[in-house]
Amino acid sequence: MEHLIPIGLNHYLTISAFLFGFGLFAVMTRKNAIVILMGVELILNAANINFLAFSKYNGGMGGVMFSLFIIVIAAAEAAIALAIVINIFKIFKSVDVSSIDTMKE
Amino acid sequence: MHSLIQLSIVVLLLPLLSFVILIFFNRRLPRRGDFVGVGILGSAFAISAYIFWSVIVQTYDPAFRIAWDFTWIDLGNVHGIGPLQVRMGIVIDNLTAIMLAMVTLISLLVHLYSTGYMAGDKNYGRYFAFLGIFTFSMLGIVLSDNLFSIYIFWELVGLSSYLLIGFFFEKQSAADAQKKAFLVNRVGDIGMWLGILILYSQFHTFSFEQIYANLAAGKFAMSNAWLTAAGLLLFMGCVGKSAQFPLHIWLPDAMEGPTPVSALIHAATMVAAGVYFVARIFVLLTPDALHVIAFIGAFTAFMAATIAITQNDIKRVLAYSTVSQLGYMVLGLGVGAYSAALFHLVTHAFFKACLFLGSGAIIHAMHHEQDMRWMGGLRKNMPWTFATFTLATLALAGLPLTSGFMSKDAILAGAIGFAQVEGGGVFYLIPALGFFSAMLTAFYMGRQIWLVFFGESRTHLKPVDNHHHGHDAHGAHDDHHDAHEVHEVSWNMRAPLVILAALSIFFVYSPNPLDGAEGWFMKMIKTPATVVGPANHNCATTLVKAASPLMAEALPAVAAHGATDSPAVAGGEHATAKGEHAFADPRQAEIAHAAHAAHFPAIYISSIMVLVGISLAGVVFVFKIIDPDKTAQAIRPLYLFSLNKWYWDEIYEATFIKGSVVLSKMLSWFDTNVIDGMVNGVAFLVRKLAFANNSFDKYVVDGFVNFTAFSVNTTGAVLRKLQTGKVQTYVVMLLLVVFGYFVFYFTRLLY
Repeated sequence: MEHLIPIGLNHYLTISAFLFGFGLFAVMTRKNAIVILMGVELILNAANINFLAFSKYNGGMGGVMFSLFIIVIAAAEAAIALAIVINIFKIFKSVDVSSIDTMKE
Repeated sequence: MHSLIQLSIVVLLLPLLSFVILIFFNRRLPRRGDFVGVGILGSAFAISAYIFWSVIVQTYDPAFRIAWDFTWIDLGNVHGIGPLQVRMGIVIDNLTAIMLAMVTLISLLVHLYSTGYMAGDKNYGRYFAFLGIFTFSMLGIVLSDNLFSIYIFWELVGLSSYLLIGFFFEKQSAADAQKKAFLVNRVGDIGMWLGILILYSQFHTFSFEQIYANLAAGKFAMSNAWLTAAGLLLFMGCVGKSAQFPLHIWLPDAMEGPTPVSALIHAATMVAAGVYFVARIFVLLTPDALHVIAFIGAFTAFMAATIAITQNDIKRVLAYSTVSQLGYMVLGLGVGAYSAALFHLVTHAFFKACLFLGSGAIIHAMHHEQDMRWMGGLRKNMPWTFATFTLATLALAGLPLTSGFMSKDAILAGAIGFAQVEGGGVFYLIPALGFFSAMLTAFYMGRQIWLVFFGESRTHLKPVDNHHHGHDAHGAHDDHHDAHEVHEVSWNMRAPLVILAALSIFFVYSPNPLDGAEGWFMKMIKTPATVVGPANHNCATTLVKAASPLMAEALPAVAAHGATDSPAVAGGEHATAKGEHAFADPRQAEIAHAAHAAHFPAIYISSIMVLVGISLAGVVFVFKIIDPDKTAQAIRPLYLFSLNKWYWDEIYEATFIKGSVVLSKMLSWFDTNVIDGMVNGVAFLVRKLAFANNSFDKYVVDGFVNFTAFSVNTTGAVLRKLQTGKVQTYVVMLLLVVFGYFVFYFTRLLY
């Protein structure tokens, strides 16, 4: 198994970048507000992976603490965002973000 | 104020009153108010006669002079000149008194005569009003003591003459004649005004007395040529009014006016005003100016006499005769025969007025026939007119025992004396022309008398198609009378003739029929001492000294001829009395002396000339030894030259009138093309400028504004696209910005 490259920081970062890219793609292209929220969750988790990876290879506990906070904040954010989505649905009878453009008026 | 001055003001204003009453109220008065005119002129004459009596008969002083004046316009203290005033005033001396009586008498007689002559005219009342204003203006000239008021009344005379000449203004010829008279007079008046201004510029006064005092004191700052010019320019006024040579053309045409008007204005008063004016300014005329005046007078006398020979209209003969006699007067003033010229002015006024009124009577009796060729044989029908007309004719021709003889002789003697003193051959031309004109005068007046009064009536010879009614517009008479019946005129037309004819006899003026100098007139009117001369810029006292040897030489010679009151002595006495005009001009004394010596030669020559003229007239027209028509054929060019009045009208037509027309056409062209062109050019440029300005506004200023709006709009439109209101778009933009930042950052990092 010597010819196999050992799992290193770059692998983590690559996974994280892909995850961030998928998340960003979902945020930019999906029309469903819930899916966009899911994209946001993916971006947050990509950041978490980064933090944890840097924490492991840097040796400090700062990254772990950061990711714990992010998980907590993500849970809060998801609750708030879902509440907003429900309110949007109540007003616009839809969760399609492309039809919600009253902001430009 | 002297009582005579007060009376003279009354005399001056009475005719004006007549004018005012008649011009406004003649239609409301019985007889159209002619009695107002006659009555007022009668009282004016009565007062004038009283003035004449007081001045001439009672005072009998050659140096008599009273004056009064008042400030008319006070211009205050003018910067650089000092106090400036225009004063008006009245002066009465012997000349004024005589003129006053003469003008009012002739005006009264003309008023009286007109009640017969103008009876039935539709503008009868207005006619008398015009006579009133004319008399007023003429009296104003006579009484004025300064150049300014003379000029005012001068123009008033011009106006009233204009009104009277064109009295029958429905006739084209009368309307033309009045315009011609007015315009020709204006030419002379402009010169006169310039002359007045030259004197005013020097002395800042219009008063004769002050101007002469200043001149005598040698205060004329400019050269003597200017003084000569001033004199000649003032003389231009006389040339216009007195119908002297270049401007004589208006007078014959002025015969379009009613005949009494011709008698009043164009024989006795208005044309005499010019001569009177020259007499008033006589003392400031330099010898050079006097030479010009003498030659103009002589030439006028001769030229008009030659024209008068061939004229057929009875009034035109008299008109040219008037021009000729006025030439005599001007000649007399020019040669220095001052009193003789004024004497002739007065005698001529009476006998020429008589002739004109007589011709008016003939025209009236002949039902407005004026052509002498169709008259004849009136002697029996009109004995009164015949007698008075003949007497006046004798006076005009200058036969002994008449007034005209004395005055004409005095002028011609003066001309001979002048020629002797000047000593030049060319100066003998003046008396020669004078004598020759005397012969011509006798000739044409003999012709006129014969054609009008003698022989058989030639009325029936008149070609019928040539007949036109009414030289004077009141043609009412023509319908009721047979043209062959000719009656003597009524008393109110006869009386003036008799009075005027009586005033043409010698004893009115002088006890000696051969010598006018013995009469009261020549004794009362003395040649005033000149205030200019070769030495007038010297001090007065040295002048007296310089003059005294000459005076000493002249005095015994004058005394030897028994004329102790010669003008020179009178001038000397005057000078010592006044202390200002402190010299008698030696030249004047010498001329007076020579003229006195030439008295009898002048009598002989002029009598011979008159007799030759009358005999010639007799030979040609009475005995028909020389047939006038054949003679006229034989010397046809000369005959035509005379008949067509030396072609002066044609010459003026070709030069001045055509010239004016061409000039006015040129000016019109200049106006339409250059002046209008400039105006239009400016307008064009302004339009173009406005257009350019408009374009600038429209494209540049508006362009800026619109471009700003447009760019804001465009920017807004572009930026608006970015703001979709969709969250995802913003996310994309955020991403792009971040991406852009990374590109920027790494680019900088790389290079």
